[in-house]
Amino acid sequence: MKALTANRLIDGEVVFWSQGRWVEHFGDAELFDAEAPAEAAATGAKAQPNVVIDPYLIDIEQGEAGPAPISYRERLRALGPSNTPQHGKQAEGGAEVAAILAAHGAARSSGRVNLIKRK
Amino acid sequence: MYQYDAIDREFLTDRANEFRHQVARRLSGELTEDQFKPLRLMNGLYLQLHAYMLRVAIPYGTLNPRQLRRLAWIARTYDKGYGHFTTRTNLQFHWIKLKDAPDILDALAEVDLHAIQTSGNCIRNTTADPRAGATAEEIDDPRVWAEAIRQWSTLHPEFSFLPRKFKIAITAAAKDRTAAKLHDIGLMLRRSRDGALGFEVIVGGGMGRTPHVGPTIKEHLPVGRLLSYLEAVLRVYNRHGRRDNIYKARIKILVAALGAEEFGRQVEEEWAKIDAAQVDLPDVELARIRGFFAPPAFDVLPRVSAAFEEAKSKDADFARFARNNVQPHKQAGYAIVDVSLKRPGDTPGDATAEQMEVVADLAERYGFGDIRITHEQNLVLPHIRLDDLPVVHAALQAAGLATANINLVSDIIACPGLDYCALANARAIPIAQSIAERFAEPDRAEAVGELKIKISGCINACGHHHVGHIGILGVDKKGEEFYQLTLGGSGAEDAEVGKMLGPALPAGRVAEAVDQLVEVYLRERQEGERFLDTFRRAGVAPFKEAVYAEAD
Repeated sequence: MKALTANRLIDGEVVFWSQGRWVEHFGDAELFDAEAPAEAAATGAKAQPNVVIDPYLIDIEQGEAGPAPISYRERLRALGPSNTPQHGKQAEGGAEVAAILAAHGAARSSGRVNLIKRK
Repeated sequence: MYQYDAIDREFLTDRANEFRHQVARRLSGELTEDQFKPLRLMNGLYLQLHAYMLRVAIPYGTLNPRQLRRLAWIARTYDKGYGHFTTRTNLQFHWIKLKDAPDILDALAEVDLHAIQTSGNCIRNTTADPRAGATAEEIDDPRVWAEAIRQWSTLHPEFSFLPRKFKIAITAAAKDRTAAKLHDIGLMLRRSRDGALGFEVIVGGGMGRTPHVGPTIKEHLPVGRLLSYLEAVLRVYNRHGRRDNIYKARIKILVAALGAEEFGRQVEEEWAKIDAAQVDLPDVELARIRGFFAPPAFDVLPRVSAAFEEAKSKDADFARFARNNVQPHKQAGYAIVDVSLKRPGDTPGDATAEQMEVVADLAERYGFGDIRITHEQNLVLPHIRLDDLPVVHAALQAAGLATANINLVSDIIACPGLDYCALANARAIPIAQSIAERFAEPDRAEAVGELKIKISGCINACGHHHVGHIGILGVDKKGEEFYQLTLGGSGAEDAEVGKMLGPALPAGRVAEAVDQLVEVYLRERQEGERFLDTFRRAGVAPFKEAVYAEAD
């Protein structure tokens, strides 16, 4: 499973792709089961260079508590910094945050690695 | 401190205005990200994991209360109410919006602050001994020379596009509090046998993926020739530094490749060609700069303060603070006060807006309006009367700023790590917190004595792990956070790069391992030995055995 993420140009906010628009919460992100629509969304995102910076696909795993990014780097992006639970999206709590906090699996952020390689 | 003149202020206003237009052009799409990125970096604005980060320059770690209050105001207005002091003695805001950045630069410019040369391949903020002008150990005031370097290096057209970033540190005391030997250039003020003031010039030190303790290429550079000599060093580097490979582009690689002697010879050759009169500071200009650093109007006071002695005998917390955070001053009746930003459980180097305001108030009321930042991510009030220490301590205590742990095990340097930084491989802050909490019992921390722990979240070594007595490097092992420990490093005058202890440890094991290392030290130490001394004498074996015994 994949999701499409980026940072918003105007404020740097972590955003996710959902049905043709950017949303701020991972819980609202569109999750792609198939490769083709994910790639199509990424291509569309790249055509918005004045809205977001460096869009890339991330790997998602369905955990017991719900979906969460596989890489801990992406989990930190989706939550906020772990030293200040009152900052970032994690501050709002809820099921999506609980699911990400519950995720343990770890892997490199492959989308991010590809991004670095491209540069 | 140094005061900007009308031209400096006009320039900062213009520069902020220029950036306002650049941001507008980026947001309108007139500039692409590739075009805009170098422009924002020239103004200290990075994109990190959760937001933009703005790095504000604090020249040689010196602020006045008005500036610190403005930083507090920015933290409260545009960030989440705090700032992060860095190992370059700068301040980073971690939650900045691009659209607010021009207003923030305006607000900074109003108090003579900016973010110029806090990023990019240029000469970065020069750091100096945070006790400058206050310690009896120094033979001259390093701020005078740091300010001269600041003026010379700011927007220097020849050195704005170096092969890589370039960092200078300067100290005038035998005890080095700047990590001078780990800088691209380290300057140590010395007197020659005939009494002449000069610099020992150390070139090619550095951390990162290839750590080097810099060699000395000139034993005694007459102080008046400083700028022309620096220009010669930069010129040789600019010409021969490796621009083909970012990992080999720092001057340390060039100096190591050529050898210190040959590099020094090329510098001398270049130096001879420079029209020194055009570059070196005229005596009258030097005197003008020196005038800004004249000692404040100290009162004539007795060496011993009854109020100070009484508070020490009555209040155990104050006595502990006096032992660990109060240092002797060159002026009788005064002291240098270290303000710890390392309360166990807190993020090393973070200060809230309220804390900044408390420190600004104390500096204004009791400290001649002088505030310093240390590269170890603490603050200093350099000129406090001994008589005033009890009331200053009480105010710091009320603000959570009186942790009596300077140079102790919980006084940990940590970079922002993967909690914020786009380059990091692993988190640094939670590791620092777990260690500090393990040693939160102050009697135990004091019994352990001086122990410098430094943590970086990646090999770029912003957390100075190579020179920690215990260094901790976060690595990404197949997607999991692991931590590589090194022992025996030092960033002080006895500079040394730490040695690897063994295989990297998972996050949950690090604080326990530090505890095991400390226990070995307490068992093995001889009279008067610090952790570092015991390690140097006993070697790595007993430490390694303690940490890895169970695994075998």
